[in-house]
Formats: sequence, C-alpha cells, structure tokens
Amino acid sequence: MERMDLPQGTLDLLILKVVALEPQHGWAISERIQQISSSVLCVKQGSLYPALHRLERRGWIKAKWGASENNRHAKYYELTKSGRKQLEADESAWRKLSAAVGQVLEIT
Amino acid sequence: MFSDLLFRMRALFRRGSAEAELGEELRAHLERQTEKYIQAGLPQYEAARRARIDLGGVEQVKEECRDARGVRFIETLVQDVRYGLRQLRRNRGFTAVAIITLAFGIGANTAIFSIVDSAFLRPLSFPHADRICVVDRIDNPIGGHSISMPIYLAWQKQREIFDHLALVGGSGTSFLSADAGPEAVLTAGATPGLFSVLGVHPALGRGFLPEESKPGSENAAILSDSLWRSRFGAKRNILGTVITLDERPYTVVGVLPRGFQLPIPYMRNAGIWLPIHVPLTSNNPSNGDLLCLGLLKRNVTPAEAAAALTPALAALRTRFPKMFGPNEKAHLDPLHSFLADWAGPAPLLLFGAVGLVLLLAAVNVANLALARAATRRREIAIRTAIGARRRRIVRQLLTESVLLALIGGTLGVFLCYAGFDSIVALVPANLPHVGAYQIDGTVLAFALALSFATGIVFGLAPSLASTRVDLSHSLKEADSLASATGRATLQSVLAAGELAISLVVLIGAALALESFAGLMRVRPGFDASHLLTFGVSLPQNKYADAAQRRAFFDRALERLQAMPGVKNAALANILPLEGGGDILFSIAGGAATRAPGRVGDADYRVVTPGFFDTMRIPLMRGRAFSDSDNGGSELVVIVSEAMAKMYWPDQDPIGRRIWVGKPMGPAFTEARPREIVGVVGSVRESSLASAPDPAMYIPFSQAPSWDPTPRNGSFVVRTRGTPLALIPEVRAAFRALDTQLPLTDVQTMKEVVSSSLGSWRFRAILLTSFAGLALLIAAIGTYGVMSYAVSRKTHEIGIRMALGAQKTDVLRLVVRQGMIPALIGVSVGLGAALALTRLLASMLYGVKPTDPLTFIAVSLILLGVAVLACYIPARRATRIDPMVALRYE
Repeated sequence: MERMDLPQGTLDLLILKVVALEPQHGWAISERIQQISSSVLCVKQGSLYPALHRLERRGWIKAKWGASENNRHAKYYELTKSGRKQLEADESAWRKLSAAVGQVLEIT
Repeated sequence: MFSDLLFRMRALFRRGSAEAELGEELRAHLERQTEKYIQAGLPQYEAARRARIDLGGVEQVKEECRDARGVRFIETLVQDVRYGLRQLRRNRGFTAVAIITLAFGIGANTAIFSIVDSAFLRPLSFPHADRICVVDRIDNPIGGHSISMPIYLAWQKQREIFDHLALVGGSGTSFLSADAGPEAVLTAGATPGLFSVLGVHPALGRGFLPEESKPGSENAAILSDSLWRSRFGAKRNILGTVITLDERPYTVVGVLPRGFQLPIPYMRNAGIWLPIHVPLTSNNPSNGDLLCLGLLKRNVTPAEAAAALTPALAALRTRFPKMFGPNEKAHLDPLHSFLADWAGPAPLLLFGAVGLVLLLAAVNVANLALARAATRRREIAIRTAIGARRRRIVRQLLTESVLLALIGGTLGVFLCYAGFDSIVALVPANLPHVGAYQIDGTVLAFALALSFATGIVFGLAPSLASTRVDLSHSLKEADSLASATGRATLQSVLAAGELAISLVVLIGAALALESFAGLMRVRPGFDASHLLTFGVSLPQNKYADAAQRRAFFDRALERLQAMPGVKNAALANILPLEGGGDILFSIAGGAATRAPGRVGDADYRVVTPGFFDTMRIPLMRGRAFSDSDNGGSELVVIVSEAMAKMYWPDQDPIGRRIWVGKPMGPAFTEARPREIVGVVGSVRESSLASAPDPAMYIPFSQAPSWDPTPRNGSFVVRTRGTPLALIPEVRAAFRALDTQLPLTDVQTMKEVVSSSLGSWRFRAILLTSFAGLALLIAAIGTYGVMSYAVSRKTHEIGIRMALGAQKTDVLRLVVRQGMIPALIGVSVGLGAALALTRLLASMLYGVKPTDPLTFIAVSLILLGVAVLACYIPARRATRIDPMVALRYE
C-alpha cells in the first residue's frame, strides 16, 4: 500500500487519539499510528516531537518520565481532561467534515 | 490560556532541565528507531544512519520543539541581550562615545519635555478640555481681556451656547492674619461657575453659591489644597472656620482638590479663592484682568458661539456708547490655543531644536556603528552560512542598538536630574504651566520611549547594511571593494547630514544670542544702577482714608531720604518694566489745538516729585513736579516724549490740556482737564524689546478722586553704595513706622531689568548649549568618517608615497576628499536654515531671521571645525611608512 502524507492539522488529532487509549512515549506513538493505519499514514518523525510539545503547551497532554518496557527511561505522554474534551470536539468535527465531503463526492 | 502561561513561565525558568529532557527524549527515539532497523537486518552503522535520516536534523527538530514550547522569543531576547552586552564591553571606545552622545541627546530632550509637559499637556488635563474656551471681545476700544460684569451677565443668559460660564480674575496679594504676623497670600476671584467649567469638584465642602457673588453678602472663601496643608495643617474640620484676610473676616466653605491649578500664570498659585464682588451694573474696565471661561455645549463650535454672542455686545453699546466699538465681535479661543499663544512658539521650537540634536546624536552613532560593522562582517557571514535567517541577525543587531540607547538614555535621565534645577531656574516665570516642573512618571515614560525609538532608528540602517552580505567575499579576509565603498558612501552621506543639522542649530543659537545681546544693550530710558526697589501694600482697615495713606507715604519718604546711604527716594504706583496700567484720555478743546476731543491711550503713572531725579529720567521740556503741585493747585500732568510725538507731532504739548479718564465714563472724569507742564524722556514701560509706549505722569498729591493715593506703591531708592546693603536699614525704618507691614518684591532695579529679559535669556542659553553639543557631535562624526576613510586608503596612500608623493600632497588629497561631504553638508544646511529660521522671527530682536552676516560667519566656523576634523586623521596618513602600507591589505 502506498504511503500517504498526513493532511495538515490531523496529526494533532491522531496523537490525541493514540494517547487516549493509553499513555505512550513519542516513538511508540509514531509506530502505533503507522501500525493502525496499515502503514498508509506516515508520520514525518521530525514533525512528531514539535507537535507533542505544542500539545503539551496547550495543556491537552501531560508528560511524565517513567520506565519503559525494557526498563529504559522514557517520556510518556497521557491525555488530560481538557485534552479528552478537545479530542471529542476534533473527532466530531472530522466526522462531520468527511461525511459532508463524501456526500458531495456521491453525486454523479 | 492560564495553563499556557504557566507552562511558558515554567519552561523559561527550568530551561536547563528542559533542554536536557529534550535531548534525552530525542536520543531515546533514535535508539529505538535504530533498534528497529537492526531487527530488520541492517548493520549497526546503516541502521543508525537511517534512523537519523528519518528524524531529520536533530538540531532542527530541537529548534522546532523549542519553538513549539513558545518561549523562543524571550529566550532569544535574553540571549541577544547577553551577547550584546559582551560586544559592547569588547569595544569600549565605541561604546563610550555612543553612550555619552546619546546620553546628552536623550537627556536634553527629557528636560525640555518636562517643561513642555507642564506647559501644554498637564494644563489640559481637565475633563472636556477640548470644549473649554476663553471668551473675549475683539475690535473694542479698550483692548485686552476687558470683560465686565454686564457683558458676562448678558452672555450667561444664552444657555444654548454654554454648559457653564465663569469669570476669573481680580488676583492679587492679600495678607492672611496669623500669630506670627501677616502672611502674604495670592488670592484670585471667581464666579460660581468656574469649577463647573473646569470640571473640578472641591475635595471638601462646596463651590460658591450665586448669592455669595453679590457685593455686601457674607464673605466666603475656598482654599487651595497646598494652603490648606501648609497653613492649616490639613485639618478636616476646616469648613466654617473664619479666617482674616486684609483684616476682613471670611468663612471657609471649601477646599480644592490636590494638584488643581489654573494654567494662567498670575493665578496659578492662588492660595485662596474669593467670589468676584463687582457691582452688577459696573462696566468698569479697570477690572481689566477678568478672564471669561466657558464650557461649550457639545455640538457648538467656537465660531458658532462667537456669532451667537456678538449681538449682546451691540445691545450693550446702547447703554455704554463709549465703551463698545461699532464693529465689536465676540471671539472664542479654545483653551489649548490660548495657552499656546501665551507660551509663544518658544517651548515648541526649543523642543524642535533639541529633537534635532538627538537626531544628530543618533546619526552619529549610526555612523560609528557602520564603521564598526566592517569588523564584524566575518562574524555575520559565518552566522548566515550556518543558517541564521537575515531577520534573526538584524534582530540581534537591533537588540544591541536598543541596549546602547537604553543605557545612554538612563545616563541621560541622570544627567537631567543633576542639571534640572539649573535648567528650571532659567525658565521664564511667565510661561503658563501647571504643577512644578519635575521629572515624574510621564517624563520618565517619555525618556524610555524615546530611548527605544532612538535605538531602533539608528540601529536599522547599519543592521540592514551589514547583513546584506555577499558570503563568498566576506568569508575571505579582504573586505570586498564594493561593500566597503557602499559603506563609505553611506557614512559620508550621514556625515554631511550631521553637518547640515548642526549648521541649522548653530545658526538658530547665533540669532538668539545676538537678540539677547542686543536687548542687554537697549537703554531703558532710566539709570538702573544703584537703584533699590520694593513694594508696599497698605491694608484696608488701618489705612482706609486717603489722607492716612498719604501721611504714611510722606513719612516713609522722609525717613528714606534721611538715611546716609540714600541719595534720592521716590514712590510710584507702577514701576517701569512692570507693564500694564493704561488709561484713556481725551485732548481738551482750546485755542489752536489740533484734533480736539481726540481720544488716546497712555500708561498711567502716579509718582512723587522726586521720581524723575531718582530714576534719572531726563527732563526734555518744561518743568518737573514740585511740592507746590498739591491738591489745592492747578491739576497738572507730565507726558513722555513718546506720548508727545504721537499726539502732538509738530506742536509743543506744554500748555495743552487733556481730560484724563474722561472717555471711560463719568466715574473717571475729573472736575477739570489737566495742563501739561513738562515732557520727559520715554521709558520702556512694558518690555525692552518693544518701543516705548506713551506714558503720562500725575503727581501723588493730585491723584484723581477715583484712585486717591493708591493703596499699593513701589518705592525706588537711589543708593550711594550697593543697593542690597541698604535692605536691613530700610526694613527697620518701615518696621518703625508700622510693625505689621511687610515689604514685597525687594530687589534692585538691575534685577528687574534682568528678569524682564527672562525668556530671551532662557532661549539664548538653551539654544547655545544645544548648538555647542551639536558642534561637538558633528565634529566627532566627521572625524570618525575621515579616520575610517584614511584607514581604508592606507594601501593607496602607500603606493602614492612610494611613487614620490610628498607629505603635503597626501595631506591635501585627504583633506580635499574629506571636505567634499562637509561642503555638501554645509550647503544643504544653509538651505534648510534659510527655510527654518523664519519660524524664529517672533523671538528675535534687532536681527533678521536670514541675517547674511550670521549665516556666513557660522558656516565658516563650521567649515573650520570640519577642516580640523579632517586634518588630524590626514596627518596620521602622512606618517604612514610606504613599505608597511604596501604590504597592508
């Protein structure tokens, strides 16, 4: 399957969703997105970390240093309450948008 | 939002650990990615390389993360500031010169601004200040602000024009009784509407009530805040207290708020406000200093109001035909323009001059910065090569300039504090202003803003110029010819500009100096040396009778004459150079009189017989007053030469008669006309700068019935030795006559003359200081540019000398090249000066704004300084060893 670049602005949404499931560190988030999307979505790793820091500044995710699977030191990000609200809002906005676009594309 | 701010603050303060964390995070990421590739089968080295490529440049990712953290701006600012400080410390010479130049420029501007603030900005801090107007009459036969009660009452009825209308005036010195002796206090009168017009509410108590304005009503008084504090200890139960003013009781009904001051100079420091008690029917114009202030209704313009108020004047003309002109009109002047006219153009022009000096300082520093940019081009080139954007470097250079300007500005404010008292001492007392001249918050804020602006303005050109870098050239050693030449041209242009600006300031200063010097030489019409003057004000109750007053003055003069140190003593109602006090008269009919009935205007002076001798005013024709001119004999008058020339141009006025005061109404008409018995030399009554006005003198013993023996008199005493030495003896003599009577305004006549020139002196001294500063800065600028040019030409000079050029040839070459921008600068400056000095016209005396001699002399001086500034580096050039120069690149 060919890889597609992430449309602008959706990186935040994906990160929030992934982190909502369980706290993750940066590399794992990148891997997850790739996995779940069957490798279609490729996250530019260079833009992942600035996005993470930006979300942290907005207060939607919280960072904590902890031990990873092999007892290595890693910075875990987890969703905050306001982040959860933001995720819901973003999700519903996305669904509405894609539905609307789909409707337009349906007309023959 | 708040969490965002917290995050930023935390990030700022824990920068160190945040950086470590970021590095750790990315390193961990790379580790895992490398592992992933290793598990996929790649060798270690390849896996690591792929992982790094996937991530992108680590440093760039870090930068973007830092960006995302949102503290970039402050972090980089702090970084820039530290770097800037280091740079400034490394170039001490440049830093010192720049800071000192800027300090003087900003300091001078701050000082002048504090004066402008007091004179223009603070007085207009009343609510609705834009609607407050001074209401006046124009084309009226009296002139001046002569609003009388009937006019005020007529205008007050027109409620559709004004929200509030008020009269203010009648100010003077009164004596407040106190245990320690009477204390002189400035009082001012106001109608009840004044505080409403100004939008001011008494801090305690109330304003005046309409009933209190009626003459004969119980006397109310309102205290100023400063008098309440200083004299009455700020006691809260002051309302209802009875105070004694001029031995009359007044009840305190209110206290004004702190900081309230009327911007009109002679009423500014009024300690006590009293209701104006003028009979409602009196059209007495000798209430001459009544000013009418009104608060216009919101949708009425001054022009509309003036048109609506004029008919009232025409109506009043039927009642008082001689007091109102046929074409009189009302005229409204908004308060800010009234004050600006009063202040004259001087404060704003001084502001302009000092602004030019600052511009000069800024241009100079820019020039110096440009010269220094040559040494920094490698640093800038390297930064650009690494990846810094131009905007980032310019921001860093600008931070340095602003830093320089802020340091210079701080030093300037200190200089301002240090010299402030001396500057304020120079400010002429009659400049309208509110509050003390001081360096307060507003002034400091101005200094800060000015420093910032200066830093950015002078930093911009050099920053932009030095970042336009051709990388390949700059990374090498040699300074590319093109960029160096461009820089040099810019420097020459700036140097020429500096010379132009300083020429303008120098010419302005020269003209002001010439005016002042010319005025100092003006003969006032009397001999001002060895003359002591002081005033006396006889309180109403002790000296109610004219005879009592005359007796006092006679005894006082006797005592003064008897003193060994006194040659002559006399008394007058108003002293020369005090100004004011004019009266109308009409020429009496009679045989061979030209223009009988003609009305004239002259200064009105009541003097004792010894006056002309004491003042050494020459008697031109006829005789002076003697003791035989008394209440019983013929009424006489002496006129000044100016009056004789104006009203009897080719006749001898001796023997003619005039009716003093008759055109002003029956209340002022005497029983008989007065005979002119003598003509004396003209005296400058109002100012040294204007031609003498016509003046008439009446003997004290024959003072008219409406002003019999005035209460206030000014003594003049010609002393044998220094006038000031006689003061204690004079005070003792007066104390012996009346223990409760203080002497006011004790000074020598020379001091009176000198203070009448106050504003001229102020301008001359300030402009000369600015000019001196400007000259210094321009000289430094020219010297700097020449130095740089010479150092650039070292190679060329070496070649020339090796080929046989003599030292004098080199000298001539360098100086000639240096003088080109100087000549251009001076020419441009001359053009600018021709255009600008026109603005000074009203502030000059005896010299035209385009005086050719001044222009030429100043230009030559400036060119001379420029030649000197070129010569010194040129001489250095001649000492170049050709062999060294040839090797130098």
